[in-house]
Amino acid sequence: MFWWRRRDQRLSAEIQDHIEFETQQNISAGATPEEARYQALRKFGSVTLAREQSREIWGWLWLDRLGQDLRYAARGFGRNPSFTAVALLSLLLGIGASTALFSVVYGVLIEPYPYAKPNEIWAPAVAGLKESVQGWHPYPRREFVKIQKLPAFAAVMATGVEEARLSGGDYAETFRGILLSGSAFNFIGVAPLLGRTIQPFDIQPGGQPQPVVVLSYNFWQQRFNGDTDALGKTLVLNDVPRTIIGVMPPRFGWYTSDSFWLPMPMDLADESPVNVILRLRPGVTPQAAEQQLQALNMRLAAARPHNFPETGFRTVLLNYMDITAASGDMTRSLRLLFAAVGFLLLIACVNVANLQLARTTTRTREIAVRLSIGAGRGRLIRQLLTESLLLSLAGGALGVLFAFGAVQVIALLMPQNYVPNEARITINSYVLLFSLAVSVLTGILFGLAPALRCSRPNLVETLKDGGRGSGGGVRGQGIRSGLVVAEVALSVILLAGASLAIRSFAGILGINPGFQPQHVLRVRVPLPRKLYPSLQQRNDFAAKLLERVQHLPGVESAAIGNGGIPFGGPESSYSIEGELQAEDKQVIASLVSADYLRTLGTPLKRGRTLTPSEVLHGDHFALINETAAKLWPVGVDPIGKRINVNLLKAPAGSSALAPAGSTPAVTVVGVIADTRNDGLRDATLPGVFLPYTLLAPAERTLAVRTYGEPGALLNAVRLEVHNLDKDVPIGRAMTLEEVYGSEIAQPRFNMALFSCFAALGLALAAVGVYSVISYDVTQRMHEIGVRLALGANRADVVALVFRIVARVVALGLILGLCGSAVLDRVIRLQVFAAPFDWSSAAGVITVLCITTIIAALLPARRAARLDPVTALRHEA
Amino acid sequence: MSTKDSTDRLELLQGTLDLLILQTLARASLHGHAIAQAIERHSEDVLRVGHGSLYPALQRLLKQGLIAAEDGVSENNRAARFYRLTPQGRKKLFVETSKWRRLSAAIVRILAPLPGGN
Repeated sequence: MFWWRRRDQRLSAEIQDHIEFETQQNISAGATPEEARYQALRKFGSVTLAREQSREIWGWLWLDRLGQDLRYAARGFGRNPSFTAVALLSLLLGIGASTALFSVVYGVLIEPYPYAKPNEIWAPAVAGLKESVQGWHPYPRREFVKIQKLPAFAAVMATGVEEARLSGGDYAETFRGILLSGSAFNFIGVAPLLGRTIQPFDIQPGGQPQPVVVLSYNFWQQRFNGDTDALGKTLVLNDVPRTIIGVMPPRFGWYTSDSFWLPMPMDLADESPVNVILRLRPGVTPQAAEQQLQALNMRLAAARPHNFPETGFRTVLLNYMDITAASGDMTRSLRLLFAAVGFLLLIACVNVANLQLARTTTRTREIAVRLSIGAGRGRLIRQLLTESLLLSLAGGALGVLFAFGAVQVIALLMPQNYVPNEARITINSYVLLFSLAVSVLTGILFGLAPALRCSRPNLVETLKDGGRGSGGGVRGQGIRSGLVVAEVALSVILLAGASLAIRSFAGILGINPGFQPQHVLRVRVPLPRKLYPSLQQRNDFAAKLLERVQHLPGVESAAIGNGGIPFGGPESSYSIEGELQAEDKQVIASLVSADYLRTLGTPLKRGRTLTPSEVLHGDHFALINETAAKLWPVGVDPIGKRINVNLLKAPAGSSALAPAGSTPAVTVVGVIADTRNDGLRDATLPGVFLPYTLLAPAERTLAVRTYGEPGALLNAVRLEVHNLDKDVPIGRAMTLEEVYGSEIAQPRFNMALFSCFAALGLALAAVGVYSVISYDVTQRMHEIGVRLALGANRADVVALVFRIVARVVALGLILGLCGSAVLDRVIRLQVFAAPFDWSSAAGVITVLCITTIIAALLPARRAARLDPVTALRHEA
Repeated sequence: MSTKDSTDRLELLQGTLDLLILQTLARASLHGHAIAQAIERHSEDVLRVGHGSLYPALQRLLKQGLIAAEDGVSENNRAARFYRLTPQGRKKLFVETSKWRRLSAAIVRILAPLPGGN
């Protein structure tokens, strides 16, 4: 029941009791019951009136007055449609943009996960004593079991990844299956959409998992069309038929959002690492838990030193929200953009305050009349604030509509890899609450100053002013100019930010990646290990596939291998024969085929490339990139020299196979141009390119340069793989342009949003400049008329107007540039590659000047066209 | 406003009634009927419009935070709402009574018979 209804009922009961008391008293005094009651009622008077009056005191009066104010405000806005439209538009843009951005911040940073208490999930990390923490520390299963027994933890779970080959359809396909310990689903705390989740009993005491699988929503939709019959059906994964026991809701995306989860085999001899996460027992501090885990780690390190840093280490617990929410890049740029949108909102506020001030200045007389006939000042301020709030709430409502659209656009621009796949960017109730709060705050912010100012006019002066409505006078205009200066300064700062974002983006686009990403398709081909257990089989398959793909129509050239295909590749320690071994230094070791350079479009700088027969026979020859060439002393030509690439010894535990008795030494035969091999933005690392036959991981990557659209070749490649071996799936396929695109997505996101905010800010500032100047011109109509009559020409009048503009804009510009320079020190370190220097400033100044000239043009034209006779007759 | 005069008179009446309620509650917490009876004993006139006018006055004082209400049991064992004075109410009562004393003292001086008069 509503509290006010309860209050009403309580009052009625109280009144009934009162009458009852009175009646009893009258009966005691000797009256008959009817008489007694009648007397009591008469004495009480009207029950209805008592209730009505009480209700009035409770606050219906307040509501009534609010209604009055609202009606009055709405009528006022209706009479002034151009004012209303401009003010609403300003608020729409300001509130709309901040709402849209807040929904991104909320979805990505504040509430990215659907998991139970995600801020209480911890991941263990190990760092060398003097090193900073890099990532979390993976453990073999045997050690995971030990961690589970530590008393500090209430719950521990492990996650692993397994390439899962799905057979039984037309083509075999691989998926990234996610292995979960039995405790995992209870740990994560998300209920399934259908069926059940993996439970501890799905892993037998011996560690053998039951053949069950839980599907992701997307997989269920794609494979089973969202049919509930999927439960109980089987999926053949890695040749094991597994029963589907559950389907997770769409937002559940633990390590994958489009494959499935499998119970993790608890084979304690399995050395492959799994990711362990923890929840602390209540009352246990992270520090205490770190100590327990450190003690365990020390014992583990004693048994297997190579899993831990050699020279001592410390154990740290990382909060899950910090490590896996949006990546650092995204977090930083969202914070920055949120600040930018705050500036935009501020500009919108200043703009509306300015318009309100102009409007209330002309209303001074109305207000003076109302004050003089006895309106209270408080009541008047309330009336004016009601107007502001009505305006800002209407603007906010429009802004939310705007945000619904804007969010779609922002979501499209978002770089996928930088955002957790569970994140949902929607206008939810928190976002709506945010925009409501913002609307109310802006309403007060832009409404309070004008309300306070004009509720205290000099009554006599204003009334004497004879209805000219210029009561705000010089001081009002001073405040308004100040507001425009602020507006210009804020938009200069936004422009400066945008110029940095644009230059950073241009800088990234200007980076030569060293390869030509157009018309290249990249396909992963994972060979089932059981079917291809030997080096020879794997190499034969790769050679045959390459041969077939090279002869497909539309293929210019093709290459197969590992690493070397953007971006990145396996790192390897190395030593150069005849030189001292460099400590701790690594090279990127890529396995390539003969046509590698042609396929990627990377030029050969010196020497020769690898021949097909060298690649086929696995001769110990290598290409190096220009950065690697510098590993040799100056003046020494690396061509013909030998380098040991230790990766070729195929480290124990790796699934890559090397020929028996393989030596790590290779002879350099050519130097190729640098290609970015550590991401697009980071400097090229030294790279060595080896015949792919020297080392055979189970999975190869195929790169195909085509004459036409590369995506069109995917089916042909899939068919070739299928024809070679129907049990071999193809993995993820992307064009190199897509790979390249994902690298530039973050800077592009920054640039797009920043430019957009700056453009909006600039437009609002232009409206501010326009409104102040045109008001100023109106005020000076008389003066201008006199000047014209005394022989000033049109150019003089235009110059006069521009002088006023110049004063306001120059001041704003100077303030804004100073502000930008200060802010730049904070911001540059975080987000932008480019500094705020003279060329950026010049760009900002140019854009601002052009905009203000356009904004001032109309009032200037009006002033210049003034007819002196009319102007002199004009009484303002 | 055309109703201004009647409002004024009502306000005067309300002011007095409010003060009387505060004065009554200064001695003890009471329920509505008991307050009405106590006031009736002192001033028939104020409640001439009926006991009913007590309730809007109580709501007004509650809203101003001068009195507080709590559920209790009446002398004949029935549930009833009891009103008591809050510290602000006590202060208000003190301020208003001293104001009233000053005013009445002034009136007494003005109306005092002139020395050697008559």
